[in-house]
Amino acid sequence: MTSTTPRAVRGPRSTWTPAQIALTAIAAALSLLWIAPLFWALSTSLKTSTESVASPHWIPDHVTWDSWKGIFDAGNIPDWFVNSVVVSVCVTFVVLLVASLAGYGFARTEFRGKGVLLSLTMAGLMFSPAILGVPLFTTVQSLGMVDTYWGMILPQCAPAAMVYILYKFFQSLPKELEEAAFIDGAGRWRIFFTIVLPLSKPALSAVGIFTFIASWNNFLWPYMVTNNPDLMTMPNGIATVQNAFGIVWPQLMAGGLIAGLPLIIVFVFFQSQIVRGVAHTGLAGQ
Amino acid sequence: MGRPGLSRRQLLGTASGLAVAASFGFAALGTGADALTSSARTRVRYWNLFSGGDGANMQAMVDAFHAAHPDTDVKASTLTWGDPYYTKLAMAAAGNRAPDLAVMHQGRVPGFAPGRLLDPWDIGKLAEHGVREADFNPTLWKRGIVGGELYALPLDVHVQLNFYRKDVCRKAGLLDADGRLPHAASEDDWFAMLKAAKAKLKGGLQTLGMHANDQNFSWWFFVAFYQQLGGGYFDAGQTGVVFDTDKATRVLEFLRKHVTDGYAIAGSDDAAMFLAGAPFVWEGDWSVPVYTPAKIDYGATPLPPVFGTPGTHAESHSFVLPHQTGRGGATNEGAYALAAYLVKNAATWAQGGHVPAYLPTFKDPAYTKLSPQREYSQDAMRHLATEPHIWFAGSTGTLSKRVGPLIAGSNLGSTKPDATARAMKSALEALLASKNPMDGRTAAQELKGAGA
Amino acid sequence: MSSTASTASTTAVPAAPRVARTATGTDTLRLRWGRRLQHGGWFVTPFFVLYGLFVLVPIVRGLYLSFTDANISGDHTSFIGLDNYREALQDDLVWQSLWHSVKFTLWVVPLIVVLALLMALIAHHTVHFKWLWRFCFFAPFLLPSAVVANLWYWLFQPVNGLVNHTLGLDTPWLTQKSTALLASVIATLWWTVGFSFLLYLAALQNIPQHLYEAAELDGANAFQRMIHITVPNLRNITGLVVALQILASLQVYDQVVIMFQFGSGPESSTRTFVQYMIEQGFTSYRVGYASAISMILFIIVAAVALARMWLLRTREEATR
Repeated sequence: MTSTTPRAVRGPRSTWTPAQIALTAIAAALSLLWIAPLFWALSTSLKTSTESVASPHWIPDHVTWDSWKGIFDAGNIPDWFVNSVVVSVCVTFVVLLVASLAGYGFARTEFRGKGVLLSLTMAGLMFSPAILGVPLFTTVQSLGMVDTYWGMILPQCAPAAMVYILYKFFQSLPKELEEAAFIDGAGRWRIFFTIVLPLSKPALSAVGIFTFIASWNNFLWPYMVTNNPDLMTMPNGIATVQNAFGIVWPQLMAGGLIAGLPLIIVFVFFQSQIVRGVAHTGLAGQ
Repeated sequence: MGRPGLSRRQLLGTASGLAVAASFGFAALGTGADALTSSARTRVRYWNLFSGGDGANMQAMVDAFHAAHPDTDVKASTLTWGDPYYTKLAMAAAGNRAPDLAVMHQGRVPGFAPGRLLDPWDIGKLAEHGVREADFNPTLWKRGIVGGELYALPLDVHVQLNFYRKDVCRKAGLLDADGRLPHAASEDDWFAMLKAAKAKLKGGLQTLGMHANDQNFSWWFFVAFYQQLGGGYFDAGQTGVVFDTDKATRVLEFLRKHVTDGYAIAGSDDAAMFLAGAPFVWEGDWSVPVYTPAKIDYGATPLPPVFGTPGTHAESHSFVLPHQTGRGGATNEGAYALAAYLVKNAATWAQGGHVPAYLPTFKDPAYTKLSPQREYSQDAMRHLATEPHIWFAGSTGTLSKRVGPLIAGSNLGSTKPDATARAMKSALEALLASKNPMDGRTAAQELKGAGA
Repeated sequence: MSSTASTASTTAVPAAPRVARTATGTDTLRLRWGRRLQHGGWFVTPFFVLYGLFVLVPIVRGLYLSFTDANISGDHTSFIGLDNYREALQDDLVWQSLWHSVKFTLWVVPLIVVLALLMALIAHHTVHFKWLWRFCFFAPFLLPSAVVANLWYWLFQPVNGLVNHTLGLDTPWLTQKSTALLASVIATLWWTVGFSFLLYLAALQNIPQHLYEAAELDGANAFQRMIHITVPNLRNITGLVVALQILASLQVYDQVVIMFQFGSGPESSTRTFVQYMIEQGFTSYRVGYASAISMILFIIVAAVALARMWLLRTREEATR
């Protein structure tokens, strides 16, 4: 707010200073460059396969929706889409539940071994999925969960980083509200669900959004743990299962857009929440 | 604003609650949408690595099988050839979630833990479906046997070919009276042909496409020419490397010369150039369905026998039964029926350029009229150059991963041919000394174990 | 209007109602409150079940496996001591693939920092269409890696690929050694710069406006304000961006491997460290050896993380 008030006094005309015009032009050029590959994917997906390999041009001579229709008529993409939704929704739900409980537990309660568990959690921040991939696979294998939804979902549900973020957040909440509820005779769990969680919406939505994006786009773990094409998620399926008829660029691009569009559409509508969520989770690393 | 806001929030809440519940329910069912909607009684899960023309042919054959066996539904999945395919097949078998039937390059079978990741074929049951050893090329059938059991049921042989444009070669005066390209029997003959063809070249094209920078093709071509020189890899007991660096250097110099003399342009799109009028391209026989519909006048021979004896690289697609504990029942029957059907109805498959493994196909008029298949198939089948039969060999196996880039590097001039040959030899020595992770034994120990 | 200015890292909480209490009342309250806290362990139990099963057990298991010759099918495993580590240190491909990952990192990190900062400055200082710039710069980050890889695989096609067509080149980007890894760097830059951009943008919005106003009164021009106010205030966030990008880039896998169809690129010039680990574990079935390689990766990652903590601490002490 502070930045706009002095300008508002000077009137609307003055916002288009020469410097502003130049800056806006640069921003527009850079934005165009950045978004161009996506438009190219869209343009390709609307061409016929022969037109797609002709000399590049942006506007299809002959707009056809065949590649998009083809996705729904045959092939695995609708299955993969459903699988992606199932996995991402389950992961997000479990992570929100488990990480908020744990974050609260660390922030507000005392119990034996808390210090040890907290430092174990902190240490986990250094182990990325890439480092753990191979032994995690053998662990999940011995649990008999290779090629199952649970094998895909559960290992994504123990993110130390999310616990840490919520732990920091709960610590920043004033204690007084909880103490007041406690005097009124509310129990620990009721306080958590009826008072703490509703107060924590910004942090929870940040964690939820970030978890959903990460899970929707996760390639490495589903790639390791699913082999059955029926069970693959979008990223895994797109990368490892081929159309029996070889690379057909319009179909490849249409499939890619279907995998990418849900998050982009959500981003259009919830831009500020997502921006805040990403910045929040990122900044928590400081 | 209060009421609508509230009801919208309720709606959102209910919707997301339902989404969460539905997702958990779906995850609990655990089979995936496709299996849920399949109505047939038996559903055979069949994995392959065929795309392009092969994919279309395989799809047609599977559809024909389904039409003949309406009770058996086939869920055919095409995975990306190379690492993803073999990795996923191995992990599925290790995790006891294997498909009922799968395609595998025959050369990969020894390294794929036959007995542990693969189940053997029941010869008796195959015979019930009309598949008998007598109907196959004996060499091919034997390569599928490990420790006395048949693991790989061959579908085809696929070979590397020298494709040539008849229109361009005719102008250069290279064709014989029948309009075919004669075999070049020496390096000089071959380069003379290239020179003559180059003289008639359209601008911007190369004379020969040879995938000079591709590690797989480079290795396959090496295998072919090295075998023409009679070179070997390992001794009979698989205890020592007998790789002949002099012969290898000759092959590498021969390959490199195509690039240095300007006949091949590394990194170009070889197939597109051939279609545009480049006279020669070395490709797998799977390029036939790419070139035939393009209505160009072309022929194909095995790779030229420039070192005297003919020989062209060959590998075989074969059917395997990935390991399932308690394999049996209707899906297993379905897998046998499907494999037998595909092997026996190989005329469709041969449209993809591959040489059918099931010998009666050669008498099938639907096969004998195929061109250019009839020009190369008999010849190629007689002179197969294959990778050594050892656990680390086979299509995109460890061996080709280690030496392929070395050969490609030599083609491009990054390393000298003689240095490359020495590097290949030490790579072979390292591989021979290494243990097959599946049984903790070296190749020599495996051979002894199998003989004992 | 400037809702974006609401900061990302702080979250407003309604002031809690004051509770009037006597001193003794507070004491007994504290006591009962404290007793209840003893049961807090239940709060962390669900997390630790999952965490134990899918993080702690694999860590221990990975360490154990790295001393064995385990294969993917899980039988015939025997203890072989340090052999895997000894082999890894002598394995040319370990060093080669590590070098590829490092080279990738050396390219990506500076490019991302510069570009993200530039984008953030532009988006921060323009008055109009802020949401549009933010959308365009960040949208690619929301795509799955497989989609990014396929898209750039298509853009980098030598004949009739958009990149060559637009620039009037005929570079075989993906099939020659000199450009293959660079092509994946460009794709990565396009894909991930949006994340660092948002971090910078949030940091810029956190710089108190009054600093600029005071400087303006003192007669500082725009450039001086940038050097003396913006840059010092972005030091922490730059440290964070650099650290996050180094860690992510050293572990690069998805986009590179998919762009090169799970191969190792022209003349094996794009095989990354994580890719080699996964090839060993899942393609060559050498789970034990792959575990040893992942332990080496862990040591590298931990070294980077500890170096950053050490840097932060020394700087804090210096400013104190």
